Amino acid sequence: MNDFLELTVGALASGCIYGLVALSYLLVTRPTGIINFAVGEWSMLAAFGGFLLLSKAGLPYPVGIAITLVAMFGIGWATERLTVRPLVVRGAPPLAPILALLGMLVVFREVVSLGFGPDPQPVPAAFGFGRLELGLIAGSYQSFFIIVVSLSVFAAVWYFFERTLAGKSFEAVAIDRRAAALMGINLGRVTALAFAASAVVAGLAGVLVAPNVSAHYLMGLPLAIQGFTALVIGGVGRVEGALLGGLILAFVEQLTVRYAPVPPGLAMGVPLVLLIVFLLIRPTGLLRAREAQA
Amino acid sequence: MKRNPLLTVRHALAAAAAGALMWAPSVFAQNTIKIGMITDKVGIAKAYAEPVAAGVSFAVKELNAKGGLLGRQIELLVEDDQAKPDVSATVARKLVDAGAVFILSVSLTPATQQAQSVTKESKTPHMTPSNSGDTLTTQVDNPNFWQTGPLGSTQIATLLSYAKNKNYKKVALVGDNSDLGQLTNKFFKAGLESAGIQIVAEEVVPVGATTADPQLQKVRAANPEALFMTGIVTGPNLLILKSYRQLGLKTPVLANYNMSVPVYMTAAKGLIDGVTFVDAFDPAKPATQRFIEAFKKDAGTEPYNLNGYGYDGIMLVADAITRAGSTDKDKIRAAMQATKGFKGVMGGVDATYGFAEGKRTGFDTNGMVVRVYEDDKQGKVLHVGSK
Repeated sequence: MNDFLELTVGALASGCIYGLVALSYLLVTRPTGIINFAVGEWSMLAAFGGFLLLSKAGLPYPVGIAITLVAMFGIGWATERLTVRPLVVRGAPPLAPILALLGMLVVFREVVSLGFGPDPQPVPAAFGFGRLELGLIAGSYQSFFIIVVSLSVFAAVWYFFERTLAGKSFEAVAIDRRAAALMGINLGRVTALAFAASAVVAGLAGVLVAPNVSAHYLMGLPLAIQGFTALVIGGVGRVEGALLGGLILAFVEQLTVRYAPVPPGLAMGVPLVLLIVFLLIRPTGLLRAREAQA
Repeated sequence: MKRNPLLTVRHALAAAAAGALMWAPSVFAQNTIKIGMITDKVGIAKAYAEPVAAGVSFAVKELNAKGGLLGRQIELLVEDDQAKPDVSATVARKLVDAGAVFILSVSLTPATQQAQSVTKESKTPHMTPSNSGDTLTTQVDNPNFWQTGPLGSTQIATLLSYAKNKNYKKVALVGDNSDLGQLTNKFFKAGLESAGIQIVAEEVVPVGATTADPQLQKVRAANPEALFMTGIVTGPNLLILKSYRQLGLKTPVLANYNMSVPVYMTAAKGLIDGVTFVDAFDPAKPATQRFIEAFKKDAGTEPYNLNGYGYDGIMLVADAITRAGSTDKDKIRAAMQATKGFKGVMGGVDATYGFAEGKRTGFDTNGMVVRVYEDDKQGKVLHVGSK
């Protein structure tokens, strides 16, 4: 029982990371229809931001994280303005921005590889390396920190989309871009903000997970795959779906490794089997997007 | 229509000049001995390939400063295979076509394996100075290929020799899902089983995982007397060390030679104290000390074991070419196979490289050393050899 509760904390933390990456996909995909596979590289960039500001410069944790996330906002905004908007303005086919963003993935990765070298770089945890025990529930400080921060972010994003006018404008664009434009919503601004917010969320996932996995130029792709899997499981259209998908994926991964009587090599394939099952029986994911209401 | 004779002369002169220009570099090239190096500059082996390649470059510089080989300078032709097997074979072909008399592979094990398809067919001498996969010289019957990286089987034999007095009866294996990690795990497992040691837990932490808690929980539940780390990718190894500490395990940890890379002293700060690891580098050995000083003077940074693998690799090639007395590939092949008792900077004090009859693995099976991390620093050599 102790093992299970201990594992629950770790799985919740991993699930929150996957959920944040899934949310990063969702923030762009919902209003634009574009799948941005470079979200993992955004996480990687933020992890190196954490390395520079926290490990190298020794800034206080909240200051270092705040600067990193502001920089990520700028990177997301610039990515949209420089690589996506020119294609949309010129009437490029829908696949073009996806390919352009794949190109950006390589650019981000190689810039970091050349700038920081191939070795993993340490990023400090928010409260250092230690273990918190709350009765039978136990886990690392960082795991509890990841859970608290991620749930707060999900709550804030949910509130933004569900309860604010600005959030409704995003939802309106997601439901019908043309109708939203006719209602006076600035599509260009919504798209740029979607990319910027997506980069911030991906960046947050990066700085939260970096104390565990270290900042490394190849860390982005696995995160992108895990986040995308979570997105497919949870559903492409709902904020809470991203979190749900991330948690399901993490629990299946970790419980399979811990308890399933399968060889270690095969246990790693279980999440991918889950992805295929979901695509076959519920391609829209667990939670469906809202439709336009008459 | 009548031709202008002046134009014809001009054309002839221009053609002659162009021909001379094209011929000039080939004359220069004939004066050098070309050695090819296939390395990984962007792929997953980059972290290991770069320092090994730096050791090769430094050795070439040193050799050329002493007059080169056979009175000719060495020209190092470098190609990037991105750790991809297909690309590795392609660049091997490019190097053969460019006139390389020897090729060094400083890349991922499967890439080195694939490059052999070219060196076997073209009969070009080919060696890897750092790959440790036990099957590199056995899967392809290529008499032109040698391997001088310490094998996985030598690593586990050395660790077991060190831990002989512990008399382990049941142990755990934890590794990663990389190609070489799986291969290392296979040979560690074989070594343990042949020593009559029971493996009570065998776990894999995949590259890209965010935690190793479930795997280490299983290890904890199996209650082994020792934990052997077989992974060769830094990320999963860091996760294993973190989970080991978080879950409060006290089982002794014995790690493969990947843990000898100094990156762990910074990336695993606070986690690695007490970890035993097998290495091929003894900084107290006189030849190694000379190498450290010379490299530091040239590059401005202190070298470590990976630089040493590259350095020894090209020195072995240079030795073979010198003994062959020629750049004829057949003669170099014969000279390389005849290598015996070559002392390099790697290995324990008495370690030598050499190829036994019918064998193409050259690292001394008694040449590895065992060290322990002390306060995040690599400690001195505690044990040498596998006997």
